[in-house]
Formats: sequence, C-alpha cells, structure tokens
Amino acid sequence: MTPHWTATGLSQDLPKAVAMAGHWQGQDLAIWRSASGRVQAWNDRCPHRGMRLSHGFVRGETLACIYHGWVYGADGGCKHIPAHPALTPPATIRVAAFACAEQDGVIWVAPADMVGAPVALSGLQPLRSISLTCDVAAVLAVEPALSGGDMLRGLVEIGGQACEVCLLVQHNAAGLTLHALCAVGADRIAASRWLEDLRRRAERKEAA
Amino acid sequence: MIAPEVLNEWYPVAMAAQIRAGQRRVTQLLGQPITVALQDGAIVVTGQGGTMPVTEAFGHVWACPGTPAHPLFPIPEALETGRRLVDVGVVRVKCSPLRAVENFLDIAHFPFVHTDVLGAEPHTEVNRYEVSIREDSDEVWATKVTFYQPQAAKSAEGGIVTQYMYRVPAPTAAVLYKTCPARPDALDVIGIFVQPLTEELCDVWPWMALYDDTTPQADLIAFQQMIFLQDRSILENQIPCLLPLDPGMEIPTQADLTSIAYRRWLKKRGLTYGAQMVAA
Repeated sequence: MTPHWTATGLSQDLPKAVAMAGHWQGQDLAIWRSASGRVQAWNDRCPHRGMRLSHGFVRGETLACIYHGWVYGADGGCKHIPAHPALTPPATIRVAAFACAEQDGVIWVAPADMVGAPVALSGLQPLRSISLTCDVAAVLAVEPALSGGDMLRGLVEIGGQACEVCLLVQHNAAGLTLHALCAVGADRIAASRWLEDLRRRAERKEAA
Repeated sequence: MIAPEVLNEWYPVAMAAQIRAGQRRVTQLLGQPITVALQDGAIVVTGQGGTMPVTEAFGHVWACPGTPAHPLFPIPEALETGRRLVDVGVVRVKCSPLRAVENFLDIAHFPFVHTDVLGAEPHTEVNRYEVSIREDSDEVWATKVTFYQPQAAKSAEGGIVTQYMYRVPAPTAAVLYKTCPARPDALDVIGIFVQPLTEELCDVWPWMALYDDTTPQADLIAFQQMIFLQDRSILENQIPCLLPLDPGMEIPTQADLTSIAYRRWLKKRGLTYGAQMVAA
C-alpha cells in the first residue's frame, strides 16, 4: 500500500500541553500538543519500562513519561532522566515518531518518511469525532448520498437543508471512528444530531 | 504447560483472618480455579488436582500448586514484639504479577506516581545502591537505598531522607525495610504478596509490620491502599503486559539495578510465569 495520510483526530480535541491516546494502522499512538501548539504523533510506549506515553505530561516543547519522568524532546530523543540528573541520555534512547500534520482542523498521521501534505478540505469545518461498531459498508448502505472509501463525502439533508459533509474514516478493532467535517456555515448542532442518527442507523444495519 | 519451577513455589491466595472468620474464597492460581476454605478448623486450598500444600504466614494463606521446593521464606521481623501487623487487603491489578513486584522494587517513580507523598520534584535523583543475589537464601537484595520523601509514612511529619532495603524472597513476593519515622533506630517492614491469577491478572496483598502505636488502623490501610491504587494506574498501562526478561525490549539505567537483578534471577530460575522471553 502506498504511504498515505490518515486522519487520527480533530485539532479541537487536543488543547495545548496535553497528550492523548490515538492509533494508526494497528499501532497505539501518543498524540500530543506542545505549549507552543505543535502536534506530534509517537509510538505510545516509553522505551524505559513500556509505560504508555499518552498518560504522560507536557512541559514546554517536551513530553515526559508519567512513570519515571523521562523527558523526550521534539525529535523523540530522550533529553533528561530525572533519576540521573547529571547524565546526558544516550542518543539511542528514542521514541519512534511518525509524520504528523495538522491541516483544516484535522490531525493527520503517516509513516515517518512521508512526503507531501494531506488532501485539502476547503470549505469544510471540523465537527466532531464519533465511534461506530460497524463497517463502512453499513454507513454507505444507510446513507446512499455518501460515497468513498477512507473519506466519505456527499450532500446530505441536515435540518431540512442540503449540506456537504466529509467523514474521515479510521478503522479500529471495535469498528470505525469517523472524524466528521461539515460545510462552513452549517448548523453544527443539527449536523451533530445527524451524525448520531447516522451511527444508530448504521449500527442497526450491521446488527440486522 | 506450566514449568515445575513455577508450580513448586509458594503463592499467597487469601487473607488468613477472612478464611478463619468462615469466608470461602473462590479464586484462581496460575490460571486454574481454586477454593480456599476452612474445614474442621484447618485452612484447605483445593484445586483441580485436589488439595494442595498450604501454610499460613504473615497474615496470609500460602499455597503451592506443585511439590514445594523449599519452605515458605521467613520474615523474622513479623515475630518482633511491639510491631503492629497490618493486613491491608487486596488490590486487583490487570497486569503481570511480575510487573507488580518489579514496580514495588522501584524508587525512581516516587516523585511522579506518588507525588508529594513518597517523592517530589526536584528530589528525583536515585543514588547508587547495592544489589546482590544472596546465595544462602537465593534471594535478591538491594541495600543502601536512600531517597528524599515528603511523607514517608502515615506517621511521618514533614520530609525526610528515607533509608530502604529491598528483598525478593519468592517470585511473586517482595519485602522492603524502610526508616520508621516514629523510631529512627528501627525499620518498618512492608511486603507485597502477589497472587498470580493468570499471567496478565493478579491480586496484590500488601502487608505491614510497623512501629506505630497511634495511627488508627483504618488510616494505615487507607494510606497503603492509596499508594497501591496510584501504582495500579501505571501497571495497567505498560506495554507489553508481560514482563520482558530478555534485554533489548526495555532500556534500564543504574537506578534500575534491583529490577535488572530480579529479571535475571527469574530467568535463571525458570520462573517465567507472567514473563515474555523473546523481544517482540
């Protein structure tokens, strides 16, 4: 499969100086935003004792593991080991970092050597992320106006009006997460209810 | 198939006082269903193959699913007059029993996991300490461990530099000796006895033998429960769940000498239940 960008979350759900758990192609991720606002996606595992880095804490432009406070800098390299304050950590202590881009209010992840930017989503605003216990076929079956594979787009009826939507698909063990965007200027509350209704219909379809 | 080295060890399976009070405990040991109950005044542990060797010590019931390779380890301090023996109860943790023991042996996490209690920034440095495998008892020992603690025990008032010794006398049990805030000439004793339910699930039974005549029992238990619940938030989020015994999967430092010795000791003795042998 050619390398490509996958939507792993929405910018609005990751405030500054916060780490959160994410995933990408079966890999657990620690996705975090530094104090200055830069978003990064790393392997969700401290190389020291295997603790999830998504439980860690952000200070400035670094992410620290919550277990022993090991501090990792912007490149994933270990910068400081609190148990040995005078030690300069060897360069071999490093967390695997993935390519991470933030564009159109969406956090995208790709292999580390990815070149190029994610697809532009002009005219759309981020709405919300929602998890479904069904597959894409069930979503398409209950909403024929949508089409696509990893990006479902179409004009659907929201609050009595035609509205452009874009659902960025992320597969996981339990089913799907959809990172939803809708047309700029659309009624966001109505769009959110439409999305919840879509989930109910698609999950019912899957169960049937 | 579980190795005989694993089966022939002693494991905690219940709090003795609860069984003596007539409670029956239906639980697991090494993935097999067992029952701990009182029969004609004696505590009996029954597994799929019938009753198993049982002993009662340090407030807990210990069982051996195989043929005991040796008697249960001693804790001589448990017999000293003036000590208060405290059965803390049980904390169920979704982790390898070996990870639970290793966490108990670790001091470098105090400032980050037990913040402002057992440690606090900027006092994060772990000074060099000594680790050995004692050949007479075949136990892992760490000595001359020191660490600054804001509240070393329920009875502590203000921060002190605490002296520690650690001891691993059985694959899923560890005992520590630390400065007693109330009696600077004596050491408090705290143990964790870990019951391996499966390779990825355990019941942890903390136990204490303290010099503390004043703190109410409920407060002592609450303090220790708080500490172990903080540890649980770590233990249930380590990847992989099993403890890696082969070097390469995880990167230790000098502060991890006890952990390194514990892993080597487990590997050498074939005590691999709850362990991962090949780096993934």
